[in-house]
Amino acid sequence: MVFSRRAALFSGGSLLLFGGIGYRLWQLQVRDHEDYQLRADNNRFNQRVIVPLRGEIYDRFGVPLATNRQNFRVLMVAEEARDVPETLERFSHIVPVTDDERERVLREIRRKRAFTPVEVADNLTWEQFTKINFDGPHLPGMHSEVAYTRDYPFADEMAFVVGYVGSPNDRDIAAVEENEKEERLLRQPGFRIGRAGLERTYDEVLRGKAGSTTVQVNAHGRVIEEYPNESDKAAQGGTLGLTIDAELQREAMRVLALPLSEPKEGEEPDPVSASAVVMDVETGDIIVMASTPAFDPNEFNVGIRQAKWEALNNDPRKPLVNKPLAGTYPPGSTFKLLTAIAAQETGIKPSHSVYCGGRTWYGNRYFNCWKRTGHGTLNMKGAIKHSCDVYFWDLAQRVDIDKIAEVAHRFGLGETFDLGIGNQSPGVVPSREWKRNYFKSTPERQTWFPGETLSVAIGQGGVTATPLQLAVMTARIATGRQVQPRLVRATGDGLLQSAAMPPIEIKLDDLIAVRDGMNAVTNEWGTAARSRLDDPNWLLAGKTGTSQVVSLQYDASGRLLKNDELPWHLRDHALFVCFAPYENPKYACSVVVEHGASGSGAAGPKARDIMKAVTQKHPAALQAFNPATDEPVRMASFAGSIATGEAEEGSSQ
Amino acid sequence: MSSSPMTSSIVLPDRRSGVRDKLAALNWWLIVCLSLLAATGAATLYSVAEGSWSPWASQHVMRYIFALMILIICAFVPLRFWLSLSYPAYFASLGLLALVPFIGAVNMGAQRWIEIGGFQLQPSEIMKIALVMALARYYHGLEFKRVSNPLFLIIPLAMIGAPVGLVFLQPDLGTAILLALSGIFVIMLAGLSWRVTVVGAIMGLVGIVTAIQLDLLKAYQIRRVTAFLDPEADPLGQGYHLAQSKIAIGSGGVSGKGYMNGTQSQLDFLPEMHTDFIFTIFGEEFGFFGTIGLLGLYLAVFLIGTHIAMKAKSHYGRLLTMGVCLTFIMYVMINTGMVMGLAPVVGVPLPLVSYGGTVMLTVMAGFGLVMSTWICRDHDTLRTRMSFYGRIN
Repeated sequence: MVFSRRAALFSGGSLLLFGGIGYRLWQLQVRDHEDYQLRADNNRFNQRVIVPLRGEIYDRFGVPLATNRQNFRVLMVAEEARDVPETLERFSHIVPVTDDERERVLREIRRKRAFTPVEVADNLTWEQFTKINFDGPHLPGMHSEVAYTRDYPFADEMAFVVGYVGSPNDRDIAAVEENEKEERLLRQPGFRIGRAGLERTYDEVLRGKAGSTTVQVNAHGRVIEEYPNESDKAAQGGTLGLTIDAELQREAMRVLALPLSEPKEGEEPDPVSASAVVMDVETGDIIVMASTPAFDPNEFNVGIRQAKWEALNNDPRKPLVNKPLAGTYPPGSTFKLLTAIAAQETGIKPSHSVYCGGRTWYGNRYFNCWKRTGHGTLNMKGAIKHSCDVYFWDLAQRVDIDKIAEVAHRFGLGETFDLGIGNQSPGVVPSREWKRNYFKSTPERQTWFPGETLSVAIGQGGVTATPLQLAVMTARIATGRQVQPRLVRATGDGLLQSAAMPPIEIKLDDLIAVRDGMNAVTNEWGTAARSRLDDPNWLLAGKTGTSQVVSLQYDASGRLLKNDELPWHLRDHALFVCFAPYENPKYACSVVVEHGASGSGAAGPKARDIMKAVTQKHPAALQAFNPATDEPVRMASFAGSIATGEAEEGSSQ
Repeated sequence: MSSSPMTSSIVLPDRRSGVRDKLAALNWWLIVCLSLLAATGAATLYSVAEGSWSPWASQHVMRYIFALMILIICAFVPLRFWLSLSYPAYFASLGLLALVPFIGAVNMGAQRWIEIGGFQLQPSEIMKIALVMALARYYHGLEFKRVSNPLFLIIPLAMIGAPVGLVFLQPDLGTAILLALSGIFVIMLAGLSWRVTVVGAIMGLVGIVTAIQLDLLKAYQIRRVTAFLDPEADPLGQGYHLAQSKIAIGSGGVSGKGYMNGTQSQLDFLPEMHTDFIFTIFGEEFGFFGTIGLLGLYLAVFLIGTHIAMKAKSHYGRLLTMGVCLTFIMYVMINTGMVMGLAPVVGVPLPLVSYGGTVMLTVMAGFGLVMSTWICRDHDTLRTRMSFYGRIN
């Protein structure tokens, strides 16, 4: 009986206490509900991430290449909008909203909680922005705010150097899952991470450090009070100072895009797809890295339209390919410089002479020199000057393919460089080993035929190189040093050391013979006499190259078709490599004009014009920008293009 | 099959009908109520994770299914077996508790967990059941006239004091208080006279005051208690959780903001939303009707338990059942009281709704014992000496 009494007592006590709890619930949820509702709206303490400003990117003289500009945008909080579609409709009278965008906004609102802001529109004009602020009462739930968006003032001119940013995807977010703060940063509306180029490689440097703040916001998203976390401030990302000269880059882009010839009456001009690299041969600094046509990275940042993307993707000129690094071309006659070095290292003297009668019999067929009438008797210098195929076919029968391949690697072909930009193509340098690896299924049957060496010796037959590799090759020939190209010369912490450039293992005489030949190409009425520089202080030494894309094409009657009779995409590539000045080299340059038909006709003049601008300005001799100490150039005061009049006068030191 | 004399002499029970009979013997009202509570927990955890089964809701369901199997297994074990297991279980739990300082994992400044074979165990939770078992066992064998004799209070008080002391040192003030209270409740249920109870209560109060004087309580424990007394004093400090919790519950109103639409819960203002403060989120999203319904469900579990205790003929069974039910309902009252500013924030979960494996297991194992009592409610003496396979009376 005692137990029953006690148990009843405890049960009764529990019931009483439960009644108390129920009463308390009634107090909170029924009696004082309105009070708490108000406080809920007014007391949303929240840890907010402060998005750091992305670090800026400057050219070698402090001209901004990637900056942050103000972006006016509108967010919507669904629970505050009484009627979401109606509000969107009213909003679209101020800012046009496409059906797709409306669909996206509605979808996001359905997916997210009712009080989470959803971005409705961004990149509004000032006029639209003020209108929305003015119309606020008629747009419940709409909040306008100022954010920062990445801006590329040079648009397509720097697209492949700087790259672009984009919204983080699920994989990017998953990668920082460990770090809750980074994850929240990546989830901020409008936050961007580096997607391509230097923006991507240096993302960690440029991103900066997110800060946090405790804010008290009311139901309308308005901040009532802010408690900044002193120990956790946001810090802007680091600065990058590049080796590129924006002014010369702009000039190079202009020169590259010039049409090759006046279009015939009533015809579309031939497309131009070209690239150029200019390097400082002493430091490896890349002064110009141009690829035309290109795209506008600003469009990638804000979200490119499908039609535009498809147009870029389907363009035969491949505007999405970074040609200086990823475009691989048969180097054609420019490769003869390396064949000449390989021959000398095999023991052939520069005085070695060959008679060119316009063709060579080898194996069971004739190999035709580009000049059918023949060059007569030539030594090595003459052979480079006139780019005689027969001479190099003679060398090819005396030099081993593996020797040629080894020299090519020594001069940078088949190699990629630590530029800070990925997606570099290594190109192809054929050798016995390469052939075995390339035909993997039957490596034992892959013997190297001497006839194949003939093709490689003149830069055909599978050998390919990128414009960057050709520029490096030229710089290494010009200096005899292992020139290493670089794009980033300074960060916010100060200037970076350029890589050590020890001498290449080679006899100086072997190099001099090749340089002599290159000098003759331009300055002694060789194949590119048109491309010489008149300034005696800046004598330009070069080498042309015209490389076949397909085997020779004949018409129905068996006549060899000329380039201008072929469709554009079957025409030969035009190449030109050069350095200047001849005596004391400062700059090396390579130009490739896709399907430009002729190295001397299409590539040489463009290289000359670019080098003219480079040597006029001589950027290597000017005081460069140090982001740690110097003020950047204001975009407004950037002249932007070389005054052609000055260039004509040819003043130089 | 031909039957030989040997086989026909042994009568094997019909297993199928045995299982069916046994299942029918279970108190299904209790199981339904417990399952509804666990389902409420899973739904709320799904919302806390912003509409995701991971990381909590799916795990919660799996654990409940496992714990329910444990309950049924415990229920099918005859009560006298539990009686004989009471002291060993108590000492084993005490041993585990004593091990915590040596092999326990430090979590948020307190050592409460130990790992056994990949499982994280909180021995203080297991002790809550073991202590009730041991005390029920003690009073089961004690003549009623001796219950109020202070001499015979020494052993039960020591049985309570040892684990309470160990838990307090971890330090886990909330669990220590719960343990002490559930122990004292069993003693009172056993029939301790009111006079002795009052004297004991006064001595206990003096002890607590002395503990505070001697700085045995950690600074944060004192702060939590004072925050409970005046939560608005420091809205960004200790009282912040409480103030925000009350705002969330209060803003839920009569019908709540709707499932998955709690505004306050999303804003990260509370730690341990999936454990100690889960009632806050539930209250915000489901409102007054929801919270009253949930409390009703808890009350139903408690009243079913009380009913079983009243029906049980053995002293052990009814003490055990009432002890388990009181421990359970104390959890609920302290947790809900805590999130509404009626009790200090001491870190007590809402049983079956909060995320947490050990608590769920101990609660369900405890109700397994209650269920065993229900099945054996007509056995009065529980002859412990009798063989396990012996006569069923």
